[in-house]
Amino acid sequence: MKKLLVLLFLLLGVQQSKAQGPPITADKPIMLGGGSFTTKTLVELRNTERGDFAYIPLMLHYLPSSNSLVAVHIPIIDYSIVGGPSGTELSDIKILGKYQFYRWDGTGKTFRMVAKTVQQLPTGPSLDLMDIATGQYQSYFGLVAGYESLQYGISNEIGYNWMPNGSLSTFQHKLGFGLPLFKPQYPNKQVNLYFEYANVWVFERSWYQMLYAQGIQYARKNITFDLAIQVPLVNDVSAGRRLNQSVFLGARYTF
Amino acid sequence: MMKHIIQTSLLLLFSLTMAVAQNQRDVYQVQVDGLGCPFCAYGLEKKFKEFKGIKKITIDIDSGDFRFEYPADNPLTADQVVSQVEKAGYTPKTWTITRADGTVESSDQLAQASDNGNFKTYNMAVSGVCGMCKARIEKTALSVKGVGEAEWSIEENVLVLGLDPELTSKDRVGAAILATGHDVEGKKATDKAYDALPPCCLYRTKSKH
Repeated sequence: MKKLLVLLFLLLGVQQSKAQGPPITADKPIMLGGGSFTTKTLVELRNTERGDFAYIPLMLHYLPSSNSLVAVHIPIIDYSIVGGPSGTELSDIKILGKYQFYRWDGTGKTFRMVAKTVQQLPTGPSLDLMDIATGQYQSYFGLVAGYESLQYGISNEIGYNWMPNGSLSTFQHKLGFGLPLFKPQYPNKQVNLYFEYANVWVFERSWYQMLYAQGIQYARKNITFDLAIQVPLVNDVSAGRRLNQSVFLGARYTF
Repeated sequence: MMKHIIQTSLLLLFSLTMAVAQNQRDVYQVQVDGLGCPFCAYGLEKKFKEFKGIKKITIDIDSGDFRFEYPADNPLTADQVVSQVEKAGYTPKTWTITRADGTVESSDQLAQASDNGNFKTYNMAVSGVCGMCKARIEKTALSVKGVGEAEWSIEENVLVLGLDPELTSKDRVGAAILATGHDVEGKKATDKAYDALPPCCLYRTKSKH
């Protein structure tokens, strides 16, 4: 029954894959012109069986050229673990790099592929909190492919996250679709809906999660505001560690 | 009294002439592929705003039609425009430049000459010293019907010329450039044409800058 539900969600997502704009929880292969900066945040309010966590990153992205990107994410984490510690402190800083190695352009459409790496530094507390606060060095390598048109768009990412001194090494896959609610226009003024899936295999712990995020985005010229709610479709992790839901609140500004 | 009226009239005439001169703008139109979303269009506009003085930018994301205006006294070459689109991360498909004097340059001319199978490339020695010389030499060459490509190097003083021999000739292009005051392949421009060049372009007395 569970598998049937998952399939149903996936099919619904594919049928509504008329998307455009930058995804919320997934990544994109399109870069907005060499020499530009984007500052953004994507606050995650994560509620799990273990406690509540608020992850508040400040992200600065820079494009040295039209096909490369470097970025730094400096996050603050506020945590409250049931029967355990609580506090607010600097979390794991991330350094990100992307290189676009393939591009195909047509009128009003584009397909691009990007190689991506994220180096997560052990600057945060050791909360064993996947992706956001482990206090361990991590190294991620992935590929992002995306097709974007004025009618529909898909983003797809696959990657491997390596944690040499811990057991949170993972295989990851993300798939995102979106739907513009109004006719695309320039200067930009749009509301987009997003349907995003994330698969995470923590093979050293035999954990597997499939998460679904429903998002909405308001975009005006070079600013976006994002809201998404992420829930688990498959939650095969240890008892007491399961995710209940995450709420994402984001904003980005390109200059 | 009469003297004042004449002075005021002359001043007004001069101001008007200057204003018209400053308002002379070339119109650029580029068909851009890869604009899959409004954010892509923003990236393109932002990149072109690096050209100081750019005005009236419009982008139709449905058709990929990108237009803007730029001061004619500091013209952009087709190569600069094409290169800037590429730096923004998109693909320029076709372009048309309508100069303020009515001259039209387009990628179609280039493609047509190429398609005829008669498109030939020549090197031509042309004297000059600065960016203004470059703009004048290239613009003059491209204004000759049948010329699809003109790239002049300040360092080497060589113009690389792509043309359709059925429509024009290297000599005809050389003559057009000569008339603007630049020496071409050992032929000297007339003193009158040379003296009419702006001070920074007086290549016989100035070094490259």
